Amino acid sequence: MAPTTALIADDEPLLRERLAGLLARLWPELQVVAQARNGREAVELFEDHAPQVVFLDVRMPGMSGIEAARSMVGRTQIVFVTAFEQYAVKAFEQGAIDYLVKPFDEARLEATVQRLKDRMTPPRESAAPDAAIEAALARLAQELHDRGEGRRWLQWIKASVGQSVRLIPVEQVAFLRSDEKYTLVVWDGGEALIRKTIRELADELDPERFAQIHRSVIVNLSRVAQVSRGANETADVHLSGRSEVLPVSRGYLHLFRQM
Amino acid sequence: MPTTAIAPDAQQAPFLRRVFAALTGESVGWAVGFAITMTALLSPVFVTPWPVVFGRTLFVAVVLLLAFTVAGQWRGAPLPRWVVQLVAVALAAPLATLSVYLLSTGGDLRAVFGNEARLTGFVMIGGSALIFGLVLALGAQYRERDAQVRAQLLQLALERESLQRQAADAQLKLLQSQIEPHFLFNTLANVQALVEGGSPRAAPVLGSLIAYLRAAMPKLHDGVPTLGQEESLVLAYLELMQMRMPDRLAFAIDVDPALRDLRLPSMTLLTLVENAVRHGIDPSEAGGRIEVGARRSSDGAAIVLWVEDSGRGIDESQTPGTGLANLRERLRASYGATAGLALLGVEPHGLRAEITIPADRA
Repeated sequence: MAPTTALIADDEPLLRERLAGLLARLWPELQVVAQARNGREAVELFEDHAPQVVFLDVRMPGMSGIEAARSMVGRTQIVFVTAFEQYAVKAFEQGAIDYLVKPFDEARLEATVQRLKDRMTPPRESAAPDAAIEAALARLAQELHDRGEGRRWLQWIKASVGQSVRLIPVEQVAFLRSDEKYTLVVWDGGEALIRKTIRELADELDPERFAQIHRSVIVNLSRVAQVSRGANETADVHLSGRSEVLPVSRGYLHLFRQM
Repeated sequence: MPTTAIAPDAQQAPFLRRVFAALTGESVGWAVGFAITMTALLSPVFVTPWPVVFGRTLFVAVVLLLAFTVAGQWRGAPLPRWVVQLVAVALAAPLATLSVYLLSTGGDLRAVFGNEARLTGFVMIGGSALIFGLVLALGAQYRERDAQVRAQLLQLALERESLQRQAADAQLKLLQSQIEPHFLFNTLANVQALVEGGSPRAAPVLGSLIAYLRAAMPKLHDGVPTLGQEESLVLAYLELMQMRMPDRLAFAIDVDPALRDLRLPSMTLLTLVENAVRHGIDPSEAGGRIEVGARRSSDGAAIVLWVEDSGRGIDESQTPGTGLANLRERLRASYGATAGLALLGVEPHGLRAEITIPADRA
């Protein structure tokens, strides 16, 4: 009978080695055929070796263990290894997916090994229907994606200051004003010119926090101290802690109607 | 006849219910005590048997209590409440006494004032009721005021305590945000691997973890945090991370030894180094190098601290963590608006965080 094969994927080498060492003792017939350092490698090595068991760390650089697993469901027994992803543990429980929580002890691994063995005789019987596992993983992948990416609004403005590129957190920006070719960023630490246009910035900045108030001006709403009405359906915006006065043109006046 | 401090919602209640609420067992006790005292004082000079005297004084006492309590509901101008209460007691004392005598004579006014014994009794009961009533009313008012002052003090103490609790909560949040469980458990899993394998590295790594944990708990160390302490904390943290990702993390620390006594808000460099690992190195398959340093600027006017990594760099739409905003606040609290924290892009990829502290503020 051919030996059972396994793949271990974890970005931390000590943890890969420990797992391999424990498995050698608890499951001598199991052969660890490959070790991967990230999700991408895990998928590649999985395709090369087609192991019957895969141990996947949830959080790895680049592709996560969850995403890597999605291409393996139905073709192998997957055991996730996680340190503190409570949301993931919950999903594993609900989806009847095997998992180990780091740091785990030998007894816990032994129980997992026993479950895997039971499931492999007769072969190809999964813990849960593959479709259920797939659905649980899809949800988790989405959650991971949401966590990692956050909202898509612009959070940093890159501006050349002297020789270097400065990253300005948008909450420090008081206002942005377009020039002929450039846009002037005025923030707590100074001023700088950037190449992005007001139109681009108006699209990229969170409308909850920034508002375009003029063809050439975007203001940080949290910095607005006062709005004074001017003649001819216009207004001026006064900023807290700054002397600049910004124009509000007719088309944007509705923004301040309730203020 | 003290009344209890009236709860705010009681002000909205119907008048009778408010009066009833103000009539506490304590105030009734005072009224009965008042009647007993008067009986004890007056019985020897009265021919009337003492139970009758007691009945009369008790009636007067109850009327005075009611007058005091009802007047206590006074909330209007121009007279202050305490004056209204005293006037009510002063008027109620003779009127209540008169009513008692009128009751005993079947409503005959002449029978009261025409009979010398009854007149004397009226004057004595009415007079002492007036004096004792006013004294008790003043006492009750004093005690009520005293209770109010104490309630206010208690309120102040509660507010102060809640402020202290908020400060402690903020501290706790800092603590929780510093020691990330994911970091802790992953690091422990590595230490476990070293220990089980009998590795000689286990002891020094455990030492680093202890140093990190001790420093990362603000409550556990006191005194002014210095750059030197921060340097050892950062070293402990980076050693732990390097144990965990030896193939992906390299680092160098270059702090001018002359600056080690520089006072620095705790976690200043650690926040930046943790960010470099979390956002620069960890998400990158290739990893990178972290350089930490501190030096006096060439003109001597400023002290510059930096943390630079060659990791993934920052994505323009990546939500900034609260760590940086907190750090900015802590720097402002320590050095005023003059200290700066700048983030700079690094070519070809990576991020440099630079803190500038004017030398005269350091």
